[in-house]
Amino acid sequence: MNRQWYAPRRLLSYLLAAVIAVTALFPLAWMAISGFKGQTEVLRSPFQFFPDVWNLDNYRAILEDPAFVRAMGITFLGAVIFTVASLVVNSMAAYAFARLDFAGKGLWWVVCITPMFVPAMAILLTSFVVVSKLGMLDTLAVLIVPGVAASAQMFFLRQFYLNMPSAVEEAALIDGATRWQIFLRIFVPQSLGPFVVVGIASFLAYWNSYVWPVLVVSNPDLTQIMQYLATFRSARGNEWGMLMAGSTLAALPTIVLVLVFQRYIVNGVRLAGLK
Amino acid sequence: MTMIDVSAQPTAHATEVTDPRGTSGQRRRRGVRGSEQTPRHLRANRTAYLMIAPMVVLLGIFVVWPLVYAFYLSFFEISFYKDAEFVGLDFYQYVLTDPEFYESLWIGLKFALMVVPAVLVLALMLASFIATLSKRMAAFMKTTVYVPAVVSSVVAAIIFVFIYQDEGVANWFVGMLGKGPIAWLNTEGSALPAVAIPAIWLGFGVSTLIMLAGILDIPDSYYESAKLDGANFWQRTRFITIPSLRNVILYLLVTGVTLTIQEFQLPLVMTNGGPVNATNTPNLYIFNSFRDGTPYATSYSLTAALLLFIVIGTISIIIFRVVSSEKSSDA
Repeated sequence: MNRQWYAPRRLLSYLLAAVIAVTALFPLAWMAISGFKGQTEVLRSPFQFFPDVWNLDNYRAILEDPAFVRAMGITFLGAVIFTVASLVVNSMAAYAFARLDFAGKGLWWVVCITPMFVPAMAILLTSFVVVSKLGMLDTLAVLIVPGVAASAQMFFLRQFYLNMPSAVEEAALIDGATRWQIFLRIFVPQSLGPFVVVGIASFLAYWNSYVWPVLVVSNPDLTQIMQYLATFRSARGNEWGMLMAGSTLAALPTIVLVLVFQRYIVNGVRLAGLK
Repeated sequence: MTMIDVSAQPTAHATEVTDPRGTSGQRRRRGVRGSEQTPRHLRANRTAYLMIAPMVVLLGIFVVWPLVYAFYLSFFEISFYKDAEFVGLDFYQYVLTDPEFYESLWIGLKFALMVVPAVLVLALMLASFIATLSKRMAAFMKTTVYVPAVVSSVVAAIIFVFIYQDEGVANWFVGMLGKGPIAWLNTEGSALPAVAIPAIWLGFGVSTLIMLAGILDIPDSYYESAKLDGANFWQRTRFITIPSLRNVILYLLVTGVTLTIQEFQLPLVMTNGGPVNATNTPNLYIFNSFRDGTPYATSYSLTAALLLFIVIGTISIIIFRVVSSEKSSDA
């Protein structure tokens, strides 16, 4: 497209971009700013955007709440383990389906890819029964293990591995390298981009999950951050300043993650290759 | 891990036999090698099985087993007080004759009709706009529109409940237009649209990026010749962009409808289905009937969940048929 624009037109497009950015980010900005307002100010009429005094009390109180700190810590720990485990499990299977030939491959492929089409709600109730029969209720494992194998992510990584050139792999095979060595030394190091994309997806899925933790965890030591926020609302629904400060802090890790890895994410959409 | 291995074995086998989607064969693309048959020495059965084992075992336990189990249980009446009793299709009949089930489906559909078209139009406009920007501005805008997508539904729900307060931003805005405050989430007519707004906000970013990727793949020459013919922006959008993005739009439409109709975290946190069930989406209805603890609630709600699974599949197929039957300029 023609990009030789006249100055006023360019100014107009900058203006439009600014309007879009402000609108898109408004709810988040509003949440963060409201966290700085005192109890009398947070829902005041007449309406006022910025607080009279930037008040740190809400943020301080939230950060001093041991339940909040514990929820952030345990959720972060769980999310990191979950992300790493997902990458290991899904990338191994992806490599095998993309690069190896083995008996019954077609059948195992169907087994591994069909779950992509099963909606979570259809199996939510029986998943609960299954994990309780396995004695997993109220453990860190019940939050992590059931979601680790993800067909969509495996599919995504497999597409990537299918497109990798096979020359190096064949040379390594002739040199006597095992498939494991090829996978770990050649494929994994070249997977940084796709690993970041699916890794972030895993991290977000874990960090943002709410219904599953509510069902399977009642031990306060294991309370997840979204669970914490939601109970906060029903128990102390009127302390909006506190709630906004807590929500801001809870959303912060995910937003930081996007800002750090933005380049990979935006390219990841293209990697996903919609044809 | 060992504990899981043992119990998984039978389920994994059961799947092989019962798996309904028999679309295996044609997946075996092998890159450069032309021949289908790999020499025996290149086969790697042992390694391959070890590599897929964790995936197969985990999916077997946490997806396949629960799914098969759900179908099995839907034929039984389960109660805390006595042994499960085989009742055949009774629960299917209960669900299918329950007006609340249909009401929730209708609400889910209305919700999807509010969210999906808004997201698609917004994404198309934003993507068209971002495509005209300089590289650096485009990168900034892409990140900006993506940020809301990573916020959890719980946080989004909390923010918007706050915005909808009597003294909140939404009412301040309405007040500027000279109207009185509205109890957004407590009024039957406004509750569902009020829940749809955060859904749109959470969803438009990813759709925009996907559409943008599609737009950038359209050859510039299409637009240049259209400009030579004197086509304005709207005509170019109507006759070039939209037809070229047909597959992308179809994808976003199908995934959008199927995901939106299943939304329940937003209404769960914002309204819990109220007022008067106005925001009781199908999954929320199922979730609440499961929690409700009345006898047979378990059988009832899991049967409803399976039926919804079927309904959603059917809707996806209908949408797919309708859109793909339309004429398009670019195959």
